[in-house]
Amino acid sequence: MSQFVENPAHLSKSRLKSDLVAHSVELPPVKSKKEVYVGLHLQHIGQKNAVDFSSDEEDQVQDVSDKEEDTEMPDPSGLTDDDLKAALLEHGVKAGPIVASTRALYEKKLRKLLQSNGHGCLNGVEKGVLYSDSEEEEENGEEEDRELGSEGEKEETVKQSDQAQQGSSQVELCFQNGGFVYPQCFLLSSRLFPSGSQSVMPDGESSMSSQAFSITHMVEEMESRRSLSTSSDTERALNGSNVQKHWSRSNRLDMPIVDTMKNQSLYYTPKASSYEWKMKLTQEPVKDTVKNMFPNTDATTTGIYATRRRPIKGAAGRPVQYAYPDTPVSPTTLEKREVERRLVPIQIQILVFLIVTCLLYLIYVCVEDNSFGPSVALLDRFYQGSDSEEGLLLQAETQDVPAPSRQE
Amino acid sequence: MSTTSQKHRDFVGEPMGDKEVTALSGIGEILGKKLEQQGFDKAYVVLGQFLLLKKDTEMFTDWLKDASGANSRQAGTCAQCLKEWCDAFL
Repeated sequence: MSQFVENPAHLSKSRLKSDLVAHSVELPPVKSKKEVYVGLHLQHIGQKNAVDFSSDEEDQVQDVSDKEEDTEMPDPSGLTDDDLKAALLEHGVKAGPIVASTRALYEKKLRKLLQSNGHGCLNGVEKGVLYSDSEEEEENGEEEDRELGSEGEKEETVKQSDQAQQGSSQVELCFQNGGFVYPQCFLLSSRLFPSGSQSVMPDGESSMSSQAFSITHMVEEMESRRSLSTSSDTERALNGSNVQKHWSRSNRLDMPIVDTMKNQSLYYTPKASSYEWKMKLTQEPVKDTVKNMFPNTDATTTGIYATRRRPIKGAAGRPVQYAYPDTPVSPTTLEKREVERRLVPIQIQILVFLIVTCLLYLIYVCVEDNSFGPSVALLDRFYQGSDSEEGLLLQAETQDVPAPSRQE
Repeated sequence: MSTTSQKHRDFVGEPMGDKEVTALSGIGEILGKKLEQQGFDKAYVVLGQFLLLKKDTEMFTDWLKDASGANSRQAGTCAQCLKEWCDAFL
């Protein structure tokens, strides 16, 4: 196996460690760099390659180690959990616990980050090459293709194409390989900046309103562009990006629209009225302009929904409800009322009570009282009443009796 | 007027307890079955996954798309639903 051993710089740190231990070499401190391990490895173990490339050894070692440090162990699936976490942290991503279910996700994320870094580096170099040597197109084409590496077919096509076309093809290559996102971003940003400067913003407004203005101005520019009928590519690019933007902002569009209306109303109605007045005043003209802005919304569903706010009672011509329904009556009060209806009213009860007490008192007086004064007078009065009646009756009877007795 | 659905409001309105995965907003019958096959048979297990990803909606949507084949809209709805539930009850 020793014949096929690679340059120690190509071995991993752990492998170097184990080799050193196998050869009973003192290990350097744990956190030391790989170069230290490589140096020790070369020192004590001694490699063929090291002997042959003695002059370039250090350069190679340094280049390889630098390269390795730059690419940072490019195989995320071969990393341990801790290494993966550290790698993500280096890219500014605070990863959560790396468990079975989350590991795949984090590996994917690391891959994406590595690729984007790699592309970024490559693009920088490409563009530098492009702009530096514009005259020597062939050489540039070859250099670029070597750097691209992955797409060999394109190398051939570029080499075979005419020199006149090479410039454009190089540009296309750059754009294609440099990421599909960039041209749209450039177009968008180039449009956003002039639109932002044109917007009417007297005060230093907040970022929110500036964003809102940019949306509305983008929309206005869309309309103007439609009327001018520009190239389909730019429209598609814009629409795609707009759809994305609006899709992401569809949930928050109500807020910006409200804010834009509020801001516009400030300009229209300088007098400070209530917020609802502002909404109603600006609602009609804004709604119309919104409709005019999107005559062909069906084609591109931007996802903007400007719902009309419910007008306030009594303000928008709705009749005010004067007659209020009866207050809800609880069942217990209903029961009370029914019971009260059936029973005798209280006043009558009191009257009856008084009469009864009077009668009882009289009877008590008659029975208990021994003195004849008042009771006799009372009794005489009673009997007189009754005697007088009886007397009359008796006289009538006696007159009748002697009459028939005389006749005998 | 918010764009949340009745399902979303039902889920976010009370502690999830032992609700099924299909109670999550954005998860229907088919997605629910796929999740159950993977072992996520209750809503709280999916919540567990969401919390493991540190309540990051983007990572959760990616995971959900991989795990159940949900599309962006469904995954986004589910993530939003869980996020709001966490805001309310966690």
